[in-house]
Amino acid sequence: MNGQALLYGGVTVAFWSTLLVVGICYTIFDLGFRFDVAWFLTETSPFMWANLGIGLAISLSVVGAAWGIYITGSSIIGGGVKAPRIKTKNLVSIIFCEAVAIYGIIMAIVISNMAENFSGTTPDTIGFKNYQAGYSMFGAGLTVGFSNLFCGICVGIVGSGAALADAQNASLFVKILIVEIFGSAIGLFGVIVAILQTSKVKMGD
Amino acid sequence: MVVSVVSKMTGTAVFIAILFSVFSAGSCSAQVPLVMWSSEGYPLPQQVAPLAGHIISGSQLASYLKTALTSGPQNVLLFLQDKLSMDDFTVYGGVFGNKQDSAFPALEAELRSSASPLVLPALSWPDSGAVPRILQEQLGTSPLYLDPETLSQLRLNASGSSLLIFRLPYSTDADMISPKAVLSGNDDIIRQVLNIIKAQAIPYTAIYTAVRPSRVIQEVSLETLPVARTLLQAPASEPYPPLEFRSGASPCILFWAENLTVSHFQGQWRRHGLSAQTFGSSASVSLTGSTCNQTHSRLVLNYQNILNFRTFRLIFSMSRRFYQVSGRHWFTLDQVELEYDGQKATFNSSRNIYAPSEYSYRCKSVTSFRDPLLTPRTANDNATLWRLSFDDFQIQGFNVTGSDFSYASDCASFFTPGVWMGLLTSLLMLLVLTYGLHMIIQLRTMDRFDDPKGPAIAVPQNE
Repeated sequence: MNGQALLYGGVTVAFWSTLLVVGICYTIFDLGFRFDVAWFLTETSPFMWANLGIGLAISLSVVGAAWGIYITGSSIIGGGVKAPRIKTKNLVSIIFCEAVAIYGIIMAIVISNMAENFSGTTPDTIGFKNYQAGYSMFGAGLTVGFSNLFCGICVGIVGSGAALADAQNASLFVKILIVEIFGSAIGLFGVIVAILQTSKVKMGD
Repeated sequence: MVVSVVSKMTGTAVFIAILFSVFSAGSCSAQVPLVMWSSEGYPLPQQVAPLAGHIISGSQLASYLKTALTSGPQNVLLFLQDKLSMDDFTVYGGVFGNKQDSAFPALEAELRSSASPLVLPALSWPDSGAVPRILQEQLGTSPLYLDPETLSQLRLNASGSSLLIFRLPYSTDADMISPKAVLSGNDDIIRQVLNIIKAQAIPYTAIYTAVRPSRVIQEVSLETLPVARTLLQAPASEPYPPLEFRSGASPCILFWAENLTVSHFQGQWRRHGLSAQTFGSSASVSLTGSTCNQTHSRLVLNYQNILNFRTFRLIFSMSRRFYQVSGRHWFTLDQVELEYDGQKATFNSSRNIYAPSEYSYRCKSVTSFRDPLLTPRTANDNATLWRLSFDDFQIQGFNVTGSDFSYASDCASFFTPGVWMGLLTSLLMLLVLTYGLHMIIQLRTMDRFDDPKGPAIAVPQNE
């Protein structure tokens, strides 16, 4: 068994066994009433959720963009050795990938502008509007992050194929570009939904 | 050279061995040590060292001194300290390897340089005061009480006999000067005197002793000693059982707190402790008005004359309900009310004080002002003028079986919200790290077209 399989196997076993043991303990000692998701959601600070959303928005988008660029970039560079004419035209694939990162940073800035200070300390005094704000920002960050992640990967793989096809046969490039455009649209969907999610956010006192 | 070293060693060793042997011999009555030495070249006759623990009596001392003085020098310098005990040598003599801290450097040097010093570790007390008299009788001269200044003006006869007595002071820890300083000063006086005598080249016999012992330890008979160990801490308050309200035969509400304090704002906060009246053997609280049934329990504590209020009532209202989502019964402490002279103050507490109805609720600190679990019902309720504080609060309003609390559901949980937030964020970052590491680890360079034996790749210069 190679190292990676061992590592992931071990981590999975550890994780599930911890959950199992904790669950069994709760059951045996009749302390199941202590397992309270509502308490967790109301006691944890909305700021944590908001900032996790902001962080995930930008970081997952950047991961997607980076992944796409590395896939496409390697193919362009490799294909460009034998067919140097593909270099300039195929940079548009890189730009599609980069756009994904730009969506991410724009959303991160938009979401972070909504984070305001509030003066409550207990669930009663914090108020439901602040909780809603925290969770919305988290959700929006996840939305934009994950959609950009997969969009970036998609555009990257398609762009890589486009570069190699272009190197073989110059007429193929334009057709494949259409596929890339469809792939890039999904990132935009993520941005639109995230904006809708945070449209009603009003954090503060 | 070797002989002198050996004699020094034996001198010191004998000194210290006798010191320790007497010290370890134990028991406890009043003795005074006596140390006698003579000038170089005029050794004292060898004496049989006294047995460890043996207390020398006056007659034995007289015979010792007689043999010493008949053959030794007849000029006797008696350094008579007010008080001296063997313990002074042990404590201030640097015997625990810290010779540099010794308060007797001159004395030790003298003993080392003298040929055969006489050390009587335990001279019985009343007789030690008789040393001047014994010496006077044996020498046949009357004593001269001197100090170093007057001694330097005196001319002594080397072959005659004289008795020069130098009184040395002593201080205890209770006096202003430390005993060590006084003993060092005395040692200094001894050194000065001996220097003067040596400068005049007169053979001498010197004796260092005291009139009375500095430490007298009384023997205590065992019957009077307290046998049981007593703890040195402040007396702990007696543990008391929880306050019980009984409807019928068995208790129905249980309540316990370590400290129960109410404060009222009348220009300034005025505090009153109620725990003495509520708990323990001195409890004077009355529970009239308390009720309990399957769904509602009310504990009413009635007091008199609290903070200038004639009547004062503290009311805990609890209720028990079935909650659908968790599928079990929970009880909540809905309100804590204060009724005082017809007025009312209400604190809400149902938000924070709850537990499954089979269990009791316990919290280390239930207050209305410090991480408050009790909040005034409205913003202008009388409760804003009051502060309640319970330390180690425990209450049970339902399912009471017997006089003990059921399992206590504590207000402090194992994981606090902060711990959860930290764990969540750390887990997320750990996932990110794992994923990144996974990607980096499985990077491989392409080796499909590697052909070590083939020609190198030719890169065309133009398109």
